[in-house]
Amino acid sequence: MVDYDPAIINKVFETTDPVPVSREKIAKFCETISETNPIFTDDEAAKNGPYGGVIAPPGFATTFRNGRHFFQHIPRYGKQGFDAGKDVEFVAPIRPGDEITLSSSVKEIYDKTGRSGTMVFVVIRTTLSNQKGEVVAHVDHRFMSRT
Amino acid sequence: MKFADVQIGSAIGPEEIFISKDQTRAYAHANHLPAPRFTDDEGAKKEGLPGMILPGNMSLALLAKLVTDWIAANPAKMIRLGTTYRIPVQPDRTLILQGFITNTYPETKQCEIDIWIEDEEAQRLVTGTATVEFSQ
Repeated sequence: MVDYDPAIINKVFETTDPVPVSREKIAKFCETISETNPIFTDDEAAKNGPYGGVIAPPGFATTFRNGRHFFQHIPRYGKQGFDAGKDVEFVAPIRPGDEITLSSSVKEIYDKTGRSGTMVFVVIRTTLSNQKGEVVAHVDHRFMSRT
Repeated sequence: MKFADVQIGSAIGPEEIFISKDQTRAYAHANHLPAPRFTDDEGAKKEGLPGMILPGNMSLALLAKLVTDWIAANPAKMIRLGTTYRIPVQPDRTLILQGFITNTYPETKQCEIDIWIEDEEAQRLVTGTATVEFSQ
């Protein structure tokens, strides 16, 4: 079983300054993934849509940079780690003009043993909140390393 | 489409999408990902990769697009998406996005969808699950 200090679980280790979301930034994001859905791309059409205006596509929630010291706070096991995947919970839409703050904590640490040996997974939860203090998304980032 | 129309086993997609190296570089630059593996073939090869690859978040965004394309103008929203990166996704080739409905939950009007990105040899590069909630 992997060894760690339980006190680090769910303790916020870093909070960023607010990051502004511009209409241009959303448009650029849409361009890079060939997104054409009017809800995300067309101001006029989106006015009559379910959100009353353009919103960011869901994948936009994963584009925010974590804080400068983010990686220093990720517990290390073994020499090489890599990005094993993400789980995103979408709580509210991100809109142009929003200012998004990220708060990060260690959500979970666990290991799995398979044919190729033991792998340790560290799950970092980053919560995205807007300028009103409303949570817009939780992004769980799984880092995997081999012991 | 309403929740009552959602059937276990129904297909989502497939959608074919061609992601160029320029799009990948643009994504990497716009999202502060300067690592050579996302911008330059030679730099990627020095890291032991076959060439440039898409950032994991870009693959996640493509799978999210598959689901929101399926939702389209219907009274529904994606509330969760999880991805697992199995094999690096390379640009300048056609990717196939697809999935199928695996579960429905009438009490919450939610459905679960298995989704994945595969290459033209039908190798699953990125897999995931999404949860969609209907309001009607």
